[in-house]
Amino acid sequence: MTLESLFEALKRSVEEFKLEEAKNITKELLKAKVDPLKVINDVLGPTMEEVGEKFDKMEIFLPELMGAAEVMKETTAILTTHLKESAIEHPKPKGKVILGTVHGDIHEIGKDIVKIMLEVSGFEVFDLGRDVPSIQFIERAEEVGADIIALSALMTTTMGSQKEVIELLEALGKRENFIVIIGGAPTSETWQKEIGADGWTETAGGAGKLATKLIEGKVK
Amino acid sequence: MVTPPWRINEILDRAETGPVCLEKDFDLKILVPELRRVIKDYDIQFDPLTPVPSDNSLADSMWNAAMDLYLEVGTLCTDTHRRIIFTEDEIKEALGNFPGKFTFGYGCDSREITNRQIEDTKRPFCMLSPDITCDEDLFVPMSMAYLQEPLADGVCAPILDEIEGMPIRSGYPTEVKGSVAHAMMFREAARRVGRPGIFLKSVGTAESDAAQIAASNPEWGERLTDGRFVASVTELKINNSLLNKMVHFHTYGCFVGALTGPILGGYTGGAEGTAIVGIAYHIQGLLVNQAHFQNYFPFHLKHTCNTTRELLWVISTTYQALARNSNLISTSNGFTAAGPCTPMVLKEAAAHSLVSVVSGGNLWEIAVAKNKHKNYATPMEARMAVEVGCGAAKEKYSREDVNEIILNLLKMYEDKIPDAPLGKNFRECYDIRKCKPSTEYMNLYKNSKKELIDYGVPFIY
Ligand code: B12
Repeated sequence: MTLESLFEALKRSVEEFKLEEAKNITKELLKAKVDPLKVINDVLGPTMEEVGEKFDKMEIFLPELMGAAEVMKETTAILTTHLKESAIEHPKPKGKVILGTVHGDIHEIGKDIVKIMLEVSGFEVFDLGRDVPSIQFIERAEEVGADIIALSALMTTTMGSQKEVIELLEALGKRENFIVIIGGAPTSETWQKEIGADGWTETAGGAGKLATKLIEGKVK
Repeated sequence: MVTPPWRINEILDRAETGPVCLEKDFDLKILVPELRRVIKDYDIQFDPLTPVPSDNSLADSMWNAAMDLYLEVGTLCTDTHRRIIFTEDEIKEALGNFPGKFTFGYGCDSREITNRQIEDTKRPFCMLSPDITCDEDLFVPMSMAYLQEPLADGVCAPILDEIEGMPIRSGYPTEVKGSVAHAMMFREAARRVGRPGIFLKSVGTAESDAAQIAASNPEWGERLTDGRFVASVTELKINNSLLNKMVHFHTYGCFVGALTGPILGGYTGGAEGTAIVGIAYHIQGLLVNQAHFQNYFPFHLKHTCNTTRELLWVISTTYQALARNSNLISTSNGFTAAGPCTPMVLKEAAAHSLVSVVSGGNLWEIAVAKNKHKNYATPMEARMAVEVGCGAAKEKYSREDVNEIILNLLKMYEDKIPDAPLGKNFRECYDIRKCKPSTEYMNLYKNSKKELIDYGVPFIY
């Protein structure tokens, strides 16, 4: 197989979320001494972007999006392990994110989509699920050394918990340690400013870009 | 034995002893592949040109697919990580003992609710509901405005998110306080419009089990003749807090509704999977949520509405499958993209109720403006839906008739769904002191009705 056709096959296996096939092709690529970074940047990244666009247009649905993201994650892991072994400088995850739906709230499909969007943008995401007590976001964030805390709230009666997490961070003197982003249908930029969160987007699609922008700003 | 409840202790036991399953595995390794399998095995296909199919064998195949799916998948309890699974005989027992009719409400305001057949000429049971949060001072006027609608057989109140100047927080004492106030004010509003015994569905303000339980009181709060919800967690999941509500409602003795909305674009995928899961939810609703009726709102992941072509098909096929294979009672909960006082919302409302009624559903109308803007809902949208729904039954409309009308209505609003107009809020549409719609909205309603009649849309009067 030519390199081009291997790339094409890898792209297809991500789109059709065929994990074993993707792993085999990746191994073949490594055997052929292809630069792992090239595979990540030229094949996996753009493929996932296309998959994301298809989901946005509802040409594919959540299980397909999740399946493709899973394959992308696993193949990227193989490639980065190889980078580590070969002592070439490898791309680290852009950052670690603690994500969850806030206390009292069991709505979580939106949060599930945000998770994928952050992952495909290169973040490592720790999903705490739904109805997560405010303090738990902070405890877990410290445990894993997170950079970002991302809070989803779908009800006006639970938006207050987004504020509570920020207030707790401030009271504990830890506000500066984390970037806090928020989202969910009843939230807005006004609410973000009011509670002093660092970022907000209306849809999951913007979450990756938002997190990247904020983390780059912090590093500088 | 009449169900529900169907063997409460069996559910509590299975939620603790059923096979262990992690949530992620349940979603992606059990539900999704099984759903794909049944769609293929039963050869279910969505046809965009026939949002209201007249094919009985399709309805039966979908019922069989949903039964097959539910027997394999069951319901996951997310607190215990256990699957609650049933045998076919158990499902048949529960279905076989379902009476297919109840009397909701009391005294001269009581009404019978029943299951309906496809193309049934029996008037649908009409629940009217804003399905949205409102300012505290609007709660009573908005409730009264809905309660005085002549076609309302039952009403669900708006949701409070503030009480006596305090924001209500889910799981906090303010939620209990707000929920008790909600129940009291709603009851009072019903008496003030002269319908003290009307079926009330409450209390949307109570998100937690504790707040729901606090509102049960035959004197000032939720009565035995009222209805309450046990929701589900998307998709085909339940948790302890929801099961707490189930046990409480049954031991208290009020009517239980299962609240279920499979999400098109989410785990259920496209129209086929969403409808099959929707039917399976009705089986779950009887056995796990142990509900007397179901409130069904499949909706679009991106647009939070169910008036798109695919979703009208989902609604139609779900109700046809239920009507031909069970006597379950279900209200069809409309969700529009456009908001109050726009020509578009009235067309969407008409489309939703027409499809629901001709396919065998009762009505629950109607969440508007993508269901996310406080104070954005008025009884006028609901009025349109129920006048049309009752008209379709009275005028003996067939599925073919409705399919043709729907294709025309879709042409008028379908492409506007992504950027649908928000319209006006309750304050802008109603005289709040008199609980009366504005002249502007009345005129819009009249003109829209004329236009819809030209397209063959039926009205009860
Ligand atoms: C589906 C649904 C349910 C399902 C939830 C299933 C599940 N497990 O997720 C069920 C049936 C269980 C349910 C239950 C209830 N619900 Co509900 N539900 C909805 C509904 C219709 C849609 C939510 C949804 O899934 N949307 C689709 C997803 C994809 O969109 P999304 O969540 O907004 O996410 C997008 C963006 O917001 C963003 N985003 C989301 N999170 C984040 C986070 C970050 C960091 C970022 C950057 C972005 C981001 O990205 C996502 C993708 O683009 C909403 C109405 C609405 N319009 O939101 C009501 C709604 C949220 N529910 C409501 C209510 C009242 C309830 C109940 C209390 C009903 C009851 N009485 O039992 C219970 C809640 C119990 C509880 N304690 O939570 C109310 C809340 C009212 C309020 N106070 O604000 C709403 C607004 C409906 C209404 N208008 O009345 N519900």
